Amino acid sequence: MTRRQHDVCRFLLFQQFGEQVSVVGKYLLQKSPSPLHLISSETHLDTEQVKKILCILIQQNIVTFGQHKRGFIEYSIRTGEILNRLWFPKYIYCAKTLYGDAAELLLEDVLQRGQVQMSKVIEVVMQRFNEALETSGKQKISESFVVDKFSNLVRTHFLQRCLDPIKSDSNKVVGLEVSEEEETLYRLPDLSRKRKKSHDDGPPAKRSKSEVEGERPADDEGDGIFWRVNNERFHQMFRDQAIVQAISSKIDRSAGEVLRAMLRVSEVKTAGMATVTTPISVTEIFNALPKDLMARPLLETYLSLICDDSTNFLSKVGDSGGGMYSINIYEALAQLVKAHIESVVQERFGSKCLRIFRVLLLKKHLEQKQIEDFVMISAKEAKDLLYTLFSENFITTTEISKTPDHAPSRTFFLFTVNIQHVASMVLNRCYKALYNAMVKKETEVNEHRRLLDKQERMEAIAASVEDASQRDEILNTITPSEQEQIIKVRRTIQMLDHSELQICEGIFILEMYLMYFKQRQKDKS
Amino acid sequence: MATAAVKEEPIEEVDFETRFIMLCQASPEGITDNVIQKELPQCDTKQRMTIVNRLLSMGKIDLLKSGSKLLYRLKDPDSASQVKGGDNQEKLVYQIIKDAGNKGIWIRDIRFKCNLLLTQVNKILKNLETKKLIKAVKSVAASKKKVYMLYNLEPDRSVTGGAWYSDQDFESEFVEVLNQQCFKYLEQRAAAAREAKSDPIAQRNASFTPLEDVWKYISELGISKVQLSKEDIETILNTLIYDGKVERSLVAGQATASGDGYVKLYRSVQPLIPTTGLMRMPCGACPVFDQCYEGGAVSPTTCVYMKEWLEI
Repeated sequence: MTRRQHDVCRFLLFQQFGEQVSVVGKYLLQKSPSPLHLISSETHLDTEQVKKILCILIQQNIVTFGQHKRGFIEYSIRTGEILNRLWFPKYIYCAKTLYGDAAELLLEDVLQRGQVQMSKVIEVVMQRFNEALETSGKQKISESFVVDKFSNLVRTHFLQRCLDPIKSDSNKVVGLEVSEEEETLYRLPDLSRKRKKSHDDGPPAKRSKSEVEGERPADDEGDGIFWRVNNERFHQMFRDQAIVQAISSKIDRSAGEVLRAMLRVSEVKTAGMATVTTPISVTEIFNALPKDLMARPLLETYLSLICDDSTNFLSKVGDSGGGMYSINIYEALAQLVKAHIESVVQERFGSKCLRIFRVLLLKKHLEQKQIEDFVMISAKEAKDLLYTLFSENFITTTEISKTPDHAPSRTFFLFTVNIQHVASMVLNRCYKALYNAMVKKETEVNEHRRLLDKQERMEAIAASVEDASQRDEILNTITPSEQEQIIKVRRTIQMLDHSELQICEGIFILEMYLMYFKQRQKDKS
Repeated sequence: MATAAVKEEPIEEVDFETRFIMLCQASPEGITDNVIQKELPQCDTKQRMTIVNRLLSMGKIDLLKSGSKLLYRLKDPDSASQVKGGDNQEKLVYQIIKDAGNKGIWIRDIRFKCNLLLTQVNKILKNLETKKLIKAVKSVAASKKKVYMLYNLEPDRSVTGGAWYSDQDFESEFVEVLNQQCFKYLEQRAAAAREAKSDPIAQRNASFTPLEDVWKYISELGISKVQLSKEDIETILNTLIYDGKVERSLVAGQATASGDGYVKLYRSVQPLIPTTGLMRMPCGACPVFDQCYEGGAVSPTTCVYMKEWLEI
């Protein structure tokens, strides 16, 4: 975990949970795992306070616990979980596009509470939905509708069960049970027995830590199973979306549709971190496509088109079943990462530097003289740009000496690009830029808090007042100059928000690539 | 008696000389000692030596070594007259430069070959230059390096840099203009293909342009004063590939006279992603990025670049 990521994590904790939680979070980020008494003594907070804070964090899946050899419980923080909170808006949007408004509300609620029981969340969603529907005069929805949506989310693995607690002899929770089979995480409870307090569906609800007893309100109605969001599944979905979008912009929309169908088929067949999907036959793809999108021969032409494309996303691996194709996930991610890095080089150093960078990407190792020849820029300028890139660590040199004494005049200096190195460098920069954007937004909001509050209050009052003239009067208490300022502030906040989202997308691709890269290294060794 | 004998010898010698020269003329590559011995059996070694030395000093023949044997070759009368004024050293240096052909030879190499002192070589070179027998050409690779070659020879491409260099200066604008023209042409072809065809495979194939077409188009445009060869256009198209705007593919084609069995096709492409998020905000291109931290002289809250960016 780099310094920049820590900064972002701390800021998120501060923003979303408050000062004290962020203090505990900071301590755990630096020194996890640690036991309760140590946390409380180092952060100078009351043990009771610390217990409450840890409670909140465990509920939100940020802190996890385990039993140390000596018998006490240690708490450790998961930075990955904190950073995942950056993508919560995207999760919700995803659910909305896939399953509709009810699913959107369901997911929002689950995300807010961290871990929640099915019955409770359904109840809350029903309430909110029906309120909105009543005011707009539409018919109420039934509970089974919402339950249906929930089951959809579970069946497609977007929601998963929380891990059950393991209890020690003295009936204190000492750890979380990790099941071997993944399928148990997605087993829906038997709905006909929802009303009864049944113990068939698993041990009683998960509680937070050992020293607390029954501090939580009795949420234990109905099934007693807690559900949470499955981050990996959403990440897989985003990854697929990125690949489809890239292909659509490179070739055309129908090619994107074909690839989307393929990815959907391979969701269930391929392992989580596989670099290449399992081969899929043309017949399967054709069945997975929406009806009437394209005829079979056209599908086959598109497949061969995507295969021959220089981006190398798809490859044909066999001829059975009309042709077996598999998607090169790792290759696709590498291409996307290269595109992001190239965009960084272009915007930061200029098009000529981009040319030099791409020459090195394509030809791997080159001498300075050869680079100057390929790139068709005057030698002096090319030398200047090359050394700029070198000083910013985007390219590195390999030395090959002709003589055993390694004299500089008799050595070849070959320039090359190390993608993984550059990717982590750019990622670091992204995190810092993200932190800067968040801090700036925070300061802007704080500066103009008075104004924004005033406007909100006025609007609330105006909405409740029936008389039109009175409403106008109230709205006019905000002077035009203040109005202008408010508009400007809102615009600023919107711009910063936008840039945060865009940086997050870049971060996502880079993180995914580095994860796959590490996995590949591990597989090879 | 004695005088008669003496008078005979010189006559014989002159005769030998003319016959020697005739023999040389007969075989332009040169004649060896053995050949002379056969043809002129009366001439003994000492006489042969005097003849050879005389002809050498007159500059009429060349002394060459082929393997372990010595060859005598008749010199060109033109070149013989040219270096008539010079001495042996000059002739040697001139010979070395002539051998270098149109690539020219560097002063240090001349010194190695003739084993003369630097000052001597410099003097000789200056002499030859004033006599307009050799010239110095600046090499494009290393601007301080001068190569010498014969006056009337055209310098080789590797020395002057070919079509992209004019007087040792790289023509950046010329390359840029060609770059843009080629790209526009390929884009037009791609746009036409997209409108005309509906089938994606046909679209893709129609938007591919062979190297020939691009070369013809550029030649017809007439923006270049010097005739550009296909290799030149290929280097320009390669730079477009390195810019990420164009991609290339090879297909099997007719084996043409140049011997290639495949054809190079070029097509303009769209980038994979629009500009990345990091670079859409000032932090991406900020020069003081590394010194920026909360509470420091440069910080996000006080950042000037951010303020300007948010004002727009």
